[in-house]
Amino acid sequence: MAISASARSVLTWFGLCAITLISWWLGTHHEQGSFAPNAAVTLSVIGIAAIKVRVIFREFMEVRNAPALLRHLTDAWLGLSVAALVAAYLITRPLAGT
Amino acid sequence: MTNVVSAGLGRSSGGLNSKAETELRASVIPGQPDIWVLVLLEAFTFSSYFVVYMIYRMRNPGLYLHSQAQLSLQLGVVNTIVLLTSSWSMARCVQSARAGDYGIALRDVSLTILLGLVFTVSKLFEWVTKTQAGLTFTSNEFFMFYYFLTGMHLLHVLMGFVFLGVVVYQLSSPARRSQEVIETGATYWHMIDFLWVIIFALLYVMR
Repeated sequence: MAISASARSVLTWFGLCAITLISWWLGTHHEQGSFAPNAAVTLSVIGIAAIKVRVIFREFMEVRNAPALLRHLTDAWLGLSVAALVAAYLITRPLAGT
Repeated sequence: MTNVVSAGLGRSSGGLNSKAETELRASVIPGQPDIWVLVLLEAFTFSSYFVVYMIYRMRNPGLYLHSQAQLSLQLGVVNTIVLLTSSWSMARCVQSARAGDYGIALRDVSLTILLGLVFTVSKLFEWVTKTQAGLTFTSNEFFMFYYFLTGMHLLHVLMGFVFLGVVVYQLSSPARRSQEVIETGATYWHMIDFLWVIIFALLYVMR
């Protein structure tokens, strides 16, 4: 079923706000207390941020209709950034003893 | 070529159905191609800041967690919702202009500017309350990153107001109204939004 561009942007906004509230919940509700190191929370938060950024690119920035080069470049930046962040976190985590 | 296609599409797509418009818009760069070079350069620059922050954070996670407790997660969430809403209103502005509804487009970009101002004021308020509590740029490593990342981001928000001003200028007169320029302003503003999404995750939420 086709939806209008206007309805699509409303749904996008609603989805982005909803997963922002999930991030909030992750930041305040986990077993070890709100300000204890937690790899699951950290990796989930980075994953949620990556999903939100991709949705902003695809929907609000209309990259879904853009040439393949732009679609691939934006995905490449996001993939590289997330991989670098997760690698920096996982590699340096044992050194921090957490 | 892209410019011609994009500008022509902006004036003519009002009568097309959704599927035909989608097919016609396929392979059209939103806005001027140059803005995407800027967006990707900025994105890579901020990514390097984020990775450096992560490496420093993991050298002393206790300090960062303790310092994070001084930030208001609720204010961070409100900031995020405000910027997401401003992005939505800017996306609506582009859609309205494309459909020839320039009055609605002007209202939408005005809402975006208003929400941008709300974000700016709330960020300044946060900085003032933190500095009054003795938490300054030199307090510790976390707050150095906090002021640097939020400061660099706010600088881009301020530059975003220039882009939005150009969009208002374009929409204000029938003699202008370049769809390509309007999309360029929107693209820059959305960049501000997605950069904040990552800053929010790293400064306020990660543990």
